[in-house]
Amino acid sequence: MNKKNSLKFTLIRGAAALGIALLVAFLLIIVSAQGNTFGAKMSNSFAALREMLISPMFRKNGSFSLKNFCDVLAGMIPILFTGLATCVMFSANQFNLGAEGGIMLGAFVTSLVAIYVKIPGPLLPIVAIAIGALSVGVMMLIPSVLKAKLGVSEMVNSLMLNYVVMYFINYLMNSYLADTSKGITQTYPYQSNALLPQMIDNGSRLSWGWAVGIVCVILVWLFMYRTRWGYSIRMAGINADFTKYSGMNTFLIIVLSQVIGGILAGMGGGIETLGRYTEYNWSSLPGYGWTGITVAILAGNNPAFVPLAAFFMSYLTKGCTLMATNAGVPAQLISIIQAVIFIFFAAKQFLSGYRQKLVVQSAQEEIAAAKAAEGGSN
Amino acid sequence: MVTIFTTDFFFSIFRIATPILFATLAAVIGEKGGVSNIGLEGIMMISALFGSLTAYWTQSWFIGLLIALIVGCGVALLMGFFAFNLKTDIILTGTAVNMIGSGGTLFLVKVITQATEGKSLASTTSLITKSLQIPSWNIPLISSIPVLGKVISGHSILTYLAFLLVWLTWVLLYRTPLGLNIRSVGENPNAASSVGVSVLKIRYITIAITGVLAGFGGAYMSMYYAMGWSLDMVAGRGFIALAAQAMGAGEPLGSMFAALIFGFAQALGIKISAMGVDSNLVAPIPYIVTIISLVIFAVVQRNNEKKRHSAEALQK
Repeated sequence: MNKKNSLKFTLIRGAAALGIALLVAFLLIIVSAQGNTFGAKMSNSFAALREMLISPMFRKNGSFSLKNFCDVLAGMIPILFTGLATCVMFSANQFNLGAEGGIMLGAFVTSLVAIYVKIPGPLLPIVAIAIGALSVGVMMLIPSVLKAKLGVSEMVNSLMLNYVVMYFINYLMNSYLADTSKGITQTYPYQSNALLPQMIDNGSRLSWGWAVGIVCVILVWLFMYRTRWGYSIRMAGINADFTKYSGMNTFLIIVLSQVIGGILAGMGGGIETLGRYTEYNWSSLPGYGWTGITVAILAGNNPAFVPLAAFFMSYLTKGCTLMATNAGVPAQLISIIQAVIFIFFAAKQFLSGYRQKLVVQSAQEEIAAAKAAEGGSN
Repeated sequence: MVTIFTTDFFFSIFRIATPILFATLAAVIGEKGGVSNIGLEGIMMISALFGSLTAYWTQSWFIGLLIALIVGCGVALLMGFFAFNLKTDIILTGTAVNMIGSGGTLFLVKVITQATEGKSLASTTSLITKSLQIPSWNIPLISSIPVLGKVISGHSILTYLAFLLVWLTWVLLYRTPLGLNIRSVGENPNAASSVGVSVLKIRYITIAITGVLAGFGGAYMSMYYAMGWSLDMVAGRGFIALAAQAMGAGEPLGSMFAALIFGFAQALGIKISAMGVDSNLVAPIPYIVTIISLVIFAVVQRNNEKKRHSAEALQK
C-alpha cells in the first residue's frame, strides 16, 4: 500500500472506532437519561451528549471557554506520563500494568520529600520529583528482573504490586503520616517552595508540569527512535528471537524498558501531585495507569502521538464529568467508552476488508503507472 | 497461636478460596487451550452485578445465578469475537473487559437502579437479603463429626461445586475428546488444524467455559460472600487466579492447592486484623504471597529442568 492510502486507511479506521464508541455512548446515554416521554428522553439525551462533546471547549452560548479548556490540558498531565510509560514497556512487548501503582508511589514519595526535606528554592520540587521517579524505577526492578531471570509473568506481578503499593501507602498514612487535625486522611501540607508554578493561574491547576510532559514526549521519542537502546527495545517487541540471536542483551532490554516506564510513571505522579495539590491525600489507585494504557494503544505505542491521544482522553473525561454534573448521566460512562475505543483500535482485523481493497487499488495504480511509463519510453 | 487456628479459621479458608478456585479453573482451562483470559476479573465483576440484580428482581437466587453464568459466558464470547475474529491482542481484550468491570459496572448499577428503583445506588448490598443468598448445605452425618464437621460442612453449595469442578475439569481435559482438542489447539494450533480440528470453534468453546466459570465466581461473590455488589469487590481475585494457575503448573489439582494457599493467606490476614493489627498491613498479604510463590515456583521448575537435562545427558 502506498503512503497516501495507508494514511487514509489509518484515519478512516480511527474515525470508525471513535464513531462506534460514540454510538455505544449515545445508546447508553439514552438508557440513562431522565424523562417520562420519549421526546423528553431524547432531548435530555442530546443535551447530555452535547455536554460531553462540546462543553469541554465551549460555553452554552458558543463562546470559547478558557477555563474548561485549561481543565482539559491540566487533565492531560498524569496520563501523558503513564501513556509514555506504557508506550515504552509495550514497545518491548512487556505487558507491565504497573503504571497505576507507579504513579501512586511516585506521588507519595515525592510528597514525603516535599513535606519533610528542607531544600532551598526551586531545587526542592526537582529533587522531590526525581526521588519519586527513581523510587518507582526501583519498584519496577521487581517484575522486570523476575521476568528476565526466571520468566515469571511481569503482568501478574505488576498487577499484584499495584495492590501492595496501595495498601502500603495507606498503612503509612494511617499510622504515621496523617495530619490528625484534618477530617480526612491527608498529609501535612507541602513546603511552599515545593509547589509547581502554574502556567495559567485560573484554578485549572495547569502547572508547568504540562510543559515538562511535552518535553518528556520529545525525549522519549528521541530515545526510542534515535538511539541504539531505543532500537533494541522496539526490536525486542517486534521480534524477540531476532534480538536474542543477533546478540543484543535481552536481559537488559527487558529490565531497562520497565525501569524507564517506572521512572516516567513516577515522574507523572510527582508532577501531578505538586502541580495540583497542596498535600497528599490519595487513598486508592487513581486510575491514570489504565487510562495510560488506552493512550498508548491510541498512539500506536509511538510517543509522538501520545500528546494527541492524551488530549483526546482528557477531553472525553472532562466531558463525562460535565455531563454528570449538568445532565445527570453517571461519569463512569468514560470507562465504557474507553474500553470500546481501546478494543477497536487494538483490533488488527478491524475493517480488514476495506484495507484489502485499498491494497489492491494501490497495486493496480502502480501497475497502471508502470505501464504508462513503459508506453512512454517506447 | 491456638486462638488463630480454630475450626472457624479453617472453615473460612474454604469460604475465601471458593471464588479464587472458580477463576483458577477458568485460567487452567484457558491456558490449556492457549487462551490467556486476563479479563476474568472483569467478567466476575459484571456477572456479580447482573446476578445480584436479577436475584433481586426475580426474588430467586437460582435465576440470579443462571443469569450470572449467561452474562459471564456472553462477555467471554464477545472477548472471543474481538480476540479471534478481529485479532485484538487477547491481553488487551482482557484489559478492556477489566476496565468495564471496574468503572463500567458502577455506571450500569447507577443507571439500572435509577431506572427501576427511582434512586441511584452505588452498590446492591441492600438488595440481597438472607433469603436470596445462595443456600449453604449442612452435610448429613459429616456435620456431626467433631472438628472436621465444622470445617467442611455448612458451606455454600457453590463451594462444594467448585471442588467437584476440579475433578470435572481434569476429566474434561484428559478424558474427553473435547479436552484433547482443547489441549491440542493450545499446544499447537497448526497441527490441530491439519488433522481437521476447527481451531476457531475450539477456542470459542474454551473461552466460553472460562466465562461460565468466572460467572460462578462472580455470583458467589455478590450472592453469598458479600451479599450484594459493590465497586471493585472482586479486588484482584481474577488476577490472583492467574498466579494460582501458574503455580499449579496449569494442572487442575495443583492449581486447587495454590488457590487454597491464597485462601489461607487471606483468612490469616482477616484473623490478624481482627486482633487489632492495621488492616492495611494485612490486606496486601495475598498479593505478596502471589509474588513470592510465583518466584518459588519458577525456581523449582528451573531446577527440575536442569536435573532432567543432566539426567538425559548422563543416559546418552
